[in-house]
Amino acid sequence: MQSKRWMMFLAVGLVAAVAMGSGCKKATKTGPNDGDIGGIKGGGINDVNIGNRPPEGTQEERGQFGSVYFEYDSAQVKESERAKVESVAQNLKKSTAGGIIVEGHCDERGSAEYNLALGERRAMAVRAYLQTLGVDAARIQTKSFGKEKPVALGHDEESWGKNRRAEFVLFK
Amino acid sequence: MLAMLGLCVAQAQITIRKGGSAKAGIDWSRLVASGAGPTEFKRVLEDDLLRSGWFVPSAPGAEFTLIGTAQDSGQLAAQIQLSSASQQRWLLSKQYTVASGAARSLAHRVADDILTAIGRKGMFSGHIAMLGTRSGAKELYVCDMDGGNLQQITNDRNICLAPRWAPDGQRITYTAFLKRYPDVYLVDLVSHSRRVIASYGGVNSGGAISPDGSLVALTLSKDGSPNLYVRALNGGTPVRLTSEPRAAIASPSWSPDGSQLVYTSDQASTAHPQLYVISRSGGTPRRLTTSGSQNVSPNWGANGLIAYASLQGKFQICVVDPNTRESRMISPGDAANYEDPCWAPDGRHIVCSRTVNYHSSIYLLDTLGDPPVAFGQLSGDWYSPSVTAK
Repeated sequence: MQSKRWMMFLAVGLVAAVAMGSGCKKATKTGPNDGDIGGIKGGGINDVNIGNRPPEGTQEERGQFGSVYFEYDSAQVKESERAKVESVAQNLKKSTAGGIIVEGHCDERGSAEYNLALGERRAMAVRAYLQTLGVDAARIQTKSFGKEKPVALGHDEESWGKNRRAEFVLFK
Repeated sequence: MLAMLGLCVAQAQITIRKGGSAKAGIDWSRLVASGAGPTEFKRVLEDDLLRSGWFVPSAPGAEFTLIGTAQDSGQLAAQIQLSSASQQRWLLSKQYTVASGAARSLAHRVADDILTAIGRKGMFSGHIAMLGTRSGAKELYVCDMDGGNLQQITNDRNICLAPRWAPDGQRITYTAFLKRYPDVYLVDLVSHSRRVIASYGGVNSGGAISPDGSLVALTLSKDGSPNLYVRALNGGTPVRLTSEPRAAIASPSWSPDGSQLVYTSDQASTAHPQLYVISRSGGTPRRLTTSGSQNVSPNWGANGLIAYASLQGKFQICVVDPNTRESRMISPGDAANYEDPCWAPDGRHIVCSRTVNYHSSIYLLDTLGDPPVAFGQLSGDWYSPSVTAK
């Protein structure tokens, strides 16, 4: 009995440490998804300054990495998409220079403003996973386009699925 | 003689239309206009009076009689008198003089004066801000409450969304990607200027200015996840009201007295946002909606009621009383998506977008039961209407 309680305490402590990432002081509050690790279960990171955007005129490069796709009612990086994020992390860890912008997108259905926030949640889930893979938070910027920048223009599930995505933009 | 009397009495009564709201007959056959400007004035005025939902055009002997003249001999001058069959005095008796080019705005002003004279609130001095794709990309436009006098405000060929009027009816906030990230801008229609008011890391949206004009509510993700913040409009440190680590939060709208905000959040279930109300000082939010798989885009009217879009198969416009949490559907439940509602200044009508086959137009809905009215003057696709408070 004693040892079981001790292990529970340890597990909670571990999650709290991961969630606090870059040194915030306040604890995250418990919620329905408590116990998530990084972006795999859609974990968010609260009370963390997400850093600055790369300055105007910074050289950017698209198309190096495949987009990460999301389920309709999800802002979590699903298992089948993890490898794409892992290859981004591998690339970023080759040097300490530059960083990455994670662009979050939604399909065309629903409120423009809500989708802007949902797209940001998707970008942040990818960002959180990159952090757990060892990439410094300061090198990862999020940018949501909501539903404003679809790649597929059809009005069907096939197009909607292609639009629910995170795209990667490298910058120097 | 008795039969004629009976006829007069019948015509003076309120006409109840099946499926619509109660309307009073108005006879405007003795409103005489001569010349192009005055004729335009009369046409827009009659249109507004019908659009108000309170009148039906009637023959002489109607409950209300509108008489007068409108002419232009260098300036547009109108003499307007309104009488009621049941009262022995003029309800309205007024002279108006405006520049020749101001026929439309005079008509809107007179329409509102007539409505005030019969004890109703008007909406025709208001304006609509919205996004349209006429020029290719979505740009910001402004028009009158009847869709006329359309003016293009921006020409950025960039991404923009969610325009909102400031309470003063002279400035508009909206979210735009002018610096390639979602930032909130404030457009001043009087000085023809625009400045950024929120450009923090991550997403910036919302831009809802408080009723007293001093504060702005924003959705910001700068601290790790999109949350609701309040800040002085002209700068300073944003104060975070919500503390959701994993939710998509959006679309704040202020209560009429500025003490609370309504917003949408999917904290209970991802991609199934619901409406919550929170004090402007923060604290525990109170959930308002339960049915519908998405409840978004709330707009808190001066009448105390919250209009919002609810996904129930299609998106419908509903109205909820934040005190009782009772809600009812206002849109007709046809095969269209109704979204982005905003109360009209009369507290009776709601302006929204209506999308059929992925083409979107602006519509006027009525909380007293009249069928939806299209803004016929506006061809093309229109989105995200916002209406001035007055």
